[in-house]
Amino acid sequence: MSLKNLVGVSLDELPASRELVTRLLKAAKSQIADARVTSITAETRFGAAYSAIRMLADVALNANGYRTLTNRPGHHQTAIQTLPLTIGLPAQTVQILDALRKQRHVTEYSGDLVPESAVLECVSQAQALQTAVRAWLKTNRPNLL
Amino acid sequence: MEATISNPAALLFPASYRRRVLCLLLLHPERALHVREIARLTGTTAGTLNKELTRLHGAGLLTRERVGNQVRYAANRASPIYTELAGILRKTIGLADVLADALAPSAPAISTAFIFGSVARGAETAGSDVDVMLIGSLTFGEAVQLLYPAQATVGREINSMVFSADDWRARIRAKNPFVHEVLAKPKIFLIGNDDELEKLGRRQPR
Repeated sequence: MSLKNLVGVSLDELPASRELVTRLLKAAKSQIADARVTSITAETRFGAAYSAIRMLADVALNANGYRTLTNRPGHHQTAIQTLPLTIGLPAQTVQILDALRKQRHVTEYSGDLVPESAVLECVSQAQALQTAVRAWLKTNRPNLL
Repeated sequence: MEATISNPAALLFPASYRRRVLCLLLLHPERALHVREIARLTGTTAGTLNKELTRLHGAGLLTRERVGNQVRYAANRASPIYTELAGILRKTIGLADVLADALAPSAPAISTAFIFGSVARGAETAGSDVDVMLIGSLTFGEAVQLLYPAQATVGREINSMVFSADDWRARIRAKNPFVHEVLAKPKIFLIGNDDELEKLGRRQPR
């Protein structure tokens, strides 16, 4: 599978934009900061960290000249599962991010609680992804930073 | 997987082909498979397997249907012992063993682990995920990585929920409705048992 093969299926072409990348990186950074605030509920912290992960995955796609087709079901899944192709993220990390996506889905639609373990994982994964995306941009697309 | 002598299913169903076929078909009642597929999925050879399938069909445990030039076998849900037999398999060589094996490397970090939700109630459908509760000191990421490979074996997605013992106790004290519902409903234990779970906190009347 390549990113190009997914065009029209789950991806759309969108020229890389420094403005978009900057905006998403900034938003992801503040979501991560919000997720670290321990006085708010676990559900809200989890949601903020998950948003950061999704935004960072969108940065990775746009830096490669793509975006997800948001009118298709599963666009979160696409953004997360293409991370090995966009920034070379290890498959094992993607498995964890994908499990966090499912956890978020269950929480949003059935109101199940979010255990503290999932919040901690989501925040640390968001932080690690932020580092990985920034490092990849610096090496591969420094013009976008 | 090969059952060990401590496994009640190995004792009750000493013929390994029979055990594997029953496990495959009764735990995936929505699947109708032909002999070669069953042989591939159970790691058996088609010749001997064919005899076993004929016997199981003869006993009314499997249905047999001709589709084109293929004969397909499926669990016979109309068999009077289907529910009980599937239950025994589910709790022994089925899902539970595969998941317990997958968790084994981190067992010291897990005080209690069990399947809950539709699979534990025996109400699963073709698309149901397996919900696994883990209480202990492992991280969510560790749980995902332990259970991820088992998804292919059991043919279902696995969702893990991980609680530290403190988090679990706090939720019980706070009478969290989700945790109380999990406590009240059927479970298939992978590590630990009901007594050990109760030590972490008893269900309180609301």
